Amino acid sequence: MEITLPLFGTASTTSDSTGLSVTGLVTSLNAATPWQLELPASGVFGLTGPSGSGKSTLLAALAGQRHCRGHITFANTVWQRGRRALATHKRTLSLGFQDSRLFAGQSVADNLALARRYSRRPLPEEECGRLLEAFGIEPLLYQPVELLSGGEAQRVAVLRQLFNNAPLQLFDEPLSAVDRAQVLRRLLPTLRDFWARYPALVIWTSHDFDEIQLLAQRCLWMDSANLSAPLPLPEVAQRLDSHGVGDSCRSRIEARVESLNDGLLTLDLGGISIFADRVAGHYRKGDTAAFLLEAGDISLSVEKPGLSSILNCLQVTLVAKQNLTDGRIRLRLAAADQVFYADISRLSCERLELREGTTYFAQFKAGSLAGL
Amino acid sequence: MNIAAADWQALWLTLKLAGLTTLLLFIIGVPLAWKLSQWQSRWRHGIEVLITLPLVLPPTVLGFYLLLLFSPNYAPGQWLSQLFDGPLVFSFTGLVFASVIYSLPFMVQPLLAAFNANGQRLTQAAAALGIPPWAALLKVLLPASRAAIVSACALTFAHTLGEFGVVLMIGGAIPGETQVVSIALYQHVEAMEYGAAHRLALMLMGITTVLLLAARWLGHRLAPRGSNNEQAKPVVGVLG
Repeated sequence: MEITLPLFGTASTTSDSTGLSVTGLVTSLNAATPWQLELPASGVFGLTGPSGSGKSTLLAALAGQRHCRGHITFANTVWQRGRRALATHKRTLSLGFQDSRLFAGQSVADNLALARRYSRRPLPEEECGRLLEAFGIEPLLYQPVELLSGGEAQRVAVLRQLFNNAPLQLFDEPLSAVDRAQVLRRLLPTLRDFWARYPALVIWTSHDFDEIQLLAQRCLWMDSANLSAPLPLPEVAQRLDSHGVGDSCRSRIEARVESLNDGLLTLDLGGISIFADRVAGHYRKGDTAAFLLEAGDISLSVEKPGLSSILNCLQVTLVAKQNLTDGRIRLRLAAADQVFYADISRLSCERLELREGTTYFAQFKAGSLAGL
Repeated sequence: MNIAAADWQALWLTLKLAGLTTLLLFIIGVPLAWKLSQWQSRWRHGIEVLITLPLVLPPTVLGFYLLLLFSPNYAPGQWLSQLFDGPLVFSFTGLVFASVIYSLPFMVQPLLAAFNANGQRLTQAAAALGIPPWAALLKVLLPASRAAIVSACALTFAHTLGEFGVVLMIGGAIPGETQVVSIALYQHVEAMEYGAAHRLALMLMGITTVLLLAARWLGHRLAPRGSNNEQAKPVVGVLG
């Protein structure tokens, strides 16, 4: 029987996978454990793990900028087979580097224009304008890129990649130098919103698990050059904890947008209304919004509390208790099909006589919803 | 200042030679330096040494070999004679040919330094946005290396202005054809016409000084402010 293989570097219909397919990828870093990866044609995936585990090497190998062996196919096009590799600029991808790598000697506007000029799916003018505003780049537009601060350069670099709008977008710790509050409140919601309207396969590498939680549903984990398949976020959070990489504990929660009144966003979490008082303003009724809840920001009561300035009160079920090394107790709570964590002191836990399987009331302020 | 018509002619010829050489070397030097900066082969060192040779060799050595190359007694000389419709020895075309070889390192070295410092990072970033290599050179690398380009062109021009040994060996001193300022100056000194020699020498010194100052000023203006990139420093005199 004759077997037809997809043509090198050209579209072919012999393969079923339209997404990214990586088999037996070997670089100098992972000679013993070839990387395998199957991802769909669109969706946002995190990539995290301890420093030096090979995350940047994986991205460089996917982009054809690092010598490797193996098989890479994207959208039915063979990018690499054995040692034969398609040049980077012929792969329908974009790769952002840790050090921004803006084009020196040009203005911010020139950099963005060049990325758009060589885009295979150029964005409409009004979308570019919307992104410029959301990223706060408008005042910097005609500055030479050498005059930008580290954080500004990173924002421009991410924007340049969005303007390029490649079907596969690889990001390597793209917002590490940007002010955290700005990332959580403004940039991540903008990115999530953007990829909802312009779907692409995105691999977002970061040491900041908050970023990944707010952008992605699943996350790849790399440890000593071992690459996992996409994992659910709680599992990755556990792995980060066990490596001492995770710092604070924030849970990702999803809710539907109900209404927006007086700067207060009302969200529907499985029939329960919750409120957020800092709002990016680009939500519409019916949108799904994801946010982070810091474990330390949640308080627990045995009985339903009376009127309080704390707007959010959820009836929750205590699923599990876990002793933390610093003497606090981490509670795993469930409400409306969603699971989140609350950290309380051992004293509180004893006074409330908390028991697993029992129902309690969790309270948190409307201002503690991060990432909206 | 009373300058003889022949000296004006020598000056014009010198400027024409320097300008043409700079233009040709820019066209040759940019792709050459770019290819070299991207080339990973060990042959690269050999090629770089070959390009640097005119810097360290006495010009007469180069002139001597060019004389052999241009000689109609050998095949290359015959072919070149046919190509340029006449022998290259004692001709302006021959002078341009020799100057291009002689001044090659002055164009290539500053460009190579700039491309080595930033070239790979920027071309990788360009390729990672789907920009093909030639577009990356023209639209990314060249704008990022503006200061180095100004340096390279100024050095090449200034160096060709002062060329003496090679011209003497293969050009001679035919007024209007190969008699450049340095040769005319030498002839004035030999004839003990010190006044005329002074006037020419001062003029060449003035032109060169103004040129280098202008290049330095332009380099400062073009160099991205606040940047600590190697190529961004205004480098007139990158070679010493």
